Amino acid sequence: MKTLKIFIAVLAISINIAHAQFTKAEVQVSGLTCSLCSKATEKSLRTLNFIGDVKADLNRNVFVLTFKRDVPVNLDQISKKVQSAGFFVNNLKATFDFDNVKVTDSYFSYAGDTYRLINGANKAITGPVALTVVDKGFAPPSTLKKYSAIGPDNVIGKSGRVYHLAI
Amino acid sequence: MKILVLAGAFLALAFPAFAQELYVNTEPASNMATHSLGIRLENQGYFNPVYKNRTTLELMYGASRYLMVHGSLYQSDYYQNQQHFEGGSVYAKYRFLSIDSVQSHFRGAFFAKASSINNPLPNQEIALEGDNSGLQGGVLFTKLMHKLALSGSASYLHAFNNVGNYNLPLTNANNAIAYTLSAGYLLFPKTYTNYNQVNVNVYVELLGKTNPGYGQNYLDAAPAIQFIFNSLLRVDLSYRAPLWNNMIRTSNNTYLVRLEYNLFNVF
Repeated sequence: MKTLKIFIAVLAISINIAHAQFTKAEVQVSGLTCSLCSKATEKSLRTLNFIGDVKADLNRNVFVLTFKRDVPVNLDQISKKVQSAGFFVNNLKATFDFDNVKVTDSYFSYAGDTYRLINGANKAITGPVALTVVDKGFAPPSTLKKYSAIGPDNVIGKSGRVYHLAI
Repeated sequence: MKILVLAGAFLALAFPAFAQELYVNTEPASNMATHSLGIRLENQGYFNPVYKNRTTLELMYGASRYLMVHGSLYQSDYYQNQQHFEGGSVYAKYRFLSIDSVQSHFRGAFFAKASSINNPLPNQEIALEGDNSGLQGGVLFTKLMHKLALSGSASYLHAFNNVGNYNLPLTNANNAIAYTLSAGYLLFPKTYTNYNQVNVNVYVELLGKTNPGYGQNYLDAAPAIQFIFNSLLRVDLSYRAPLWNNMIRTSNNTYLVRLEYNLFNVF
């Protein structure tokens, strides 16, 4: 019984420690109209080891991805898999849990890559926040154009690829 | 030409709702998903003056997001009394243009085909699907809008002598121009709820060929109906009949039955 209590206590503590990570994403795919094409896209996405589950809304061409808890998420791989199925990402909105993550001058790092918030970083950011990726491969040219005037990245002391995110 | 314009106008009028581009008698400019494999078993034939039919086994593979390849084997009794193995063809399609937005796209692709066939050559039509050894190259465009999908292609064919010392008759054309215009319409489901719903698509396709300098032409209409089960298994039924023809061919009126099974992420 005592062991069980300790176990429950440890479990409760470990649940309370929120993982700073991407938890889920909504991916809207462009160019799709047939369920066979959607299935090909879903099957392609499911080959990624960090994706736990995929739910498709076949009428809106939206795939809701649930990420595994302890496997680093690579957003570029998602775009690559959609393109290899023959389509394009029209919009990718990923939810990032900011607990235990420090945002410095609009930048934060995750799994070896750098993420730049192009708006909203003036407020304190905590907990789960939905972020839209505004890089090539994640949005149509018209959307990218809207965000083209954000200025160069400050890459000093930062690692990996720099993603650009809008809140 | 007038027939073509009329037929095009008919297609545009007849299909104002959801459209599909998994054409039965032609290929769309889109490719299969990378590393997916499609297996097709097809039978086509005619009943007049006697029943003859051709069976085709076709494998299709998505090599990359831009390139897909097909390989086909043919067997028929079109030119003999018995069924016999006729030869094969390879086909490649390269998507060079994609302008996509949600539920619509405009795509363009180049394609090329080569065939090696061992049949006699009594026909004026050059066809690389079991009849002639030859080469084909062309371009195609597919416009898919939320409510209408249209696809068109133009290609050039060159025929060689067939395998087995079957020489192309000196009076026959050894070059041809082929053109197609296709439209598709999603009948069911009206709204998607899951992958297991049976999709029913209907198509009308126009298939034309001309032998330049020989005054030999045809334009066929090929209506088709398609069922897709579990988003994996496709069943195509089509009937092809000429709107206009003055070319000697195996048959003017043919049926087509095809099964296609898709495997994703194979290798």
